[in-house]
Amino acid sequence: MNLTVNGVAREIDGSALAPLLDVLRDELGITGPKAGCHQGGCGSCTVLVDGEPRRSCLVPAGYAEGTQITTVEGMGPPEDLSPVQQAFVHYYAAQCGFCTSGMLLAAQAYIDRGGTDDPEAIQHALAGHVCRCTGYSKIIDAIAAAARGDSFDLTTTAVGKHTTMSNGGAA
Amino acid sequence: MKVVGARIPRYDGVAHVTGRTTYVDDVRVPGTLWAKACRSPHHHAAITSIDTSKAESMPGVHAVITWKDVPLLEYGHLSALGIPADEPLLARDEVRYLGQPIALVAAASEAQAAAAVDAIEVGFEERPALLDVRQAFDADAPKIHQWGNWYPHFENEMDRRQIRKGDIDWAFENADTIVQGVYRPAAIEHAPVETQVCQVVPEPDGRLTIYSCTQALYFSLGVVAAHLQQPLNRFKLVGGTTGGGFGGKVDTATETMTCLLVLKSGRPVKWRWTREEEFLCSSTRAPWHMELATAVTKDGWILGQKMLTLHDSGAYARFSPYGLTKHSFHHTGAYSIPNLHFDGYVVFTNRTPTTAMRGFGVTSVSFAVETHLNRIANELGIDQVEIRMKNANRIGDTSPNGIAYTDPSTIDTLKAIADAIGHELPADYRTMTNEPRAGELLPEHLVSQVGSTEGH
Repeated sequence: MNLTVNGVAREIDGSALAPLLDVLRDELGITGPKAGCHQGGCGSCTVLVDGEPRRSCLVPAGYAEGTQITTVEGMGPPEDLSPVQQAFVHYYAAQCGFCTSGMLLAAQAYIDRGGTDDPEAIQHALAGHVCRCTGYSKIIDAIAAAARGDSFDLTTTAVGKHTTMSNGGAA
Repeated sequence: MKVVGARIPRYDGVAHVTGRTTYVDDVRVPGTLWAKACRSPHHHAAITSIDTSKAESMPGVHAVITWKDVPLLEYGHLSALGIPADEPLLARDEVRYLGQPIALVAAASEAQAAAAVDAIEVGFEERPALLDVRQAFDADAPKIHQWGNWYPHFENEMDRRQIRKGDIDWAFENADTIVQGVYRPAAIEHAPVETQVCQVVPEPDGRLTIYSCTQALYFSLGVVAAHLQQPLNRFKLVGGTTGGGFGGKVDTATETMTCLLVLKSGRPVKWRWTREEEFLCSSTRAPWHMELATAVTKDGWILGQKMLTLHDSGAYARFSPYGLTKHSFHHTGAYSIPNLHFDGYVVFTNRTPTTAMRGFGVTSVSFAVETHLNRIANELGIDQVEIRMKNANRIGDTSPNGIAYTDPSTIDTLKAIADAIGHELPADYRTMTNEPRAGELLPEHLVSQVGSTEGH
């Protein structure tokens, strides 16, 4: 079986019915997709299959043969972050970070298909992605900013809806 | 002061957005075995037999452990404070909650480990289960714990956490009315997106390296070393990257048992809980049962309060006595109540053991106190914000355990809330501050509770 992950063709020994998530993590050592639930419920294993977000825990590896698979490792290295990665850093949209790679790929797919900064549309695109830390609003702010094409200053963090500079950023 | 007031970028932000943060499950060690647990299918049962012989001979299986493999079977989460232990690492002759671990298998693959767990034969005799804290508290309830149903090891071996302040009889004799309420917040699962997980690696010098998702690294080090009866320097813990904890990764859930599998198999072992295990078997925030009776005057002064708290510990004590102690110190909420009578009990049930979660022991009492204050205000026909501001903690007011507050923020917080929700306050409330009580805000009944803030 041959899989193309982040532009690199890889040969796999395992079963075509093995979950793509396990093949990526355990055979290829690509650990960006996370095993949050292994039952399609949390979104943290999301990868792009030909540009479409897919829960890799539910996708048989064989199904992805002949496709282009993108994981968070294929988005942008630390020295050359993509706009949506920059937005997540600037807006503090990752807290523990465990759901972040799945969120980022869903956000990238949303922006690639022409998504706008409309919060309701972003919520719809991110439906089924569980974040237990942030309360989602910073994630939605970040994706909206990336969708608008904002540029980001990564030496500082965005001022949130409920913070002001005058009180030192305290709520 | 380069950081206070500045909006600094988070130090791990770039690693998070590039997939380079290494969580425990991302640690790659060749030859790692998978661990799986044989868990109790019953809320409460006697164990009549444990037979692991079939499992031990199954393909891929490298080690099976039961209680017999644990050097020190019982070690409590508060044992370091000298408090007796009540919870076996692996169940021996009784299970007290559904999901309690009885045996563990380490095998070459996750599927082989799961198959071997299915082959472990455990005989049970089911016993009646108590799942409600109020029922378990009853004196004639069946005893489900070796200490009885009430935790008996508070200071001076008391079976309750008790607070007495002022003159409660005076308060209830002089009240215009008594307002009563019962409040019962339910258990909450922390639900981190990363389930409980650890990876343990045997090193050539005989030490064990433990990759842990714990929120309490040095605490877990002590617990592991105690159960294994080995000095602390036999273990190297690697942590600090937790995929969500919220208090649910304070208990030492996986590390000790995984170490035992490593010692028995001589191989690295990983134990990653399934989502189902996380929901069914991991600790939760406690359910609570709180009864309040508050002596109030018709103009909204709180003269005194009686409270009974039952903290559902689940099957074992773990940190619950600590949670209840915090609860008791905060049991008046953000308000100054001079006369108090508080009795709190840690009660054992056949639920999953409960633990810390975001304000351990305090969120429950905040819920009760705030809901109860609305009930009092409605009963008296007084504004819900004004009754709070009137009784709010001020500089010099004392907590239930007698600590004088130096800079309480209740009044500022209430003013900000009133402002945010467009709630009109009378002029004398709009200008209120947390300055020490005086004049109309220092009625006779509050004089004796004012303490000194010197030395704070």
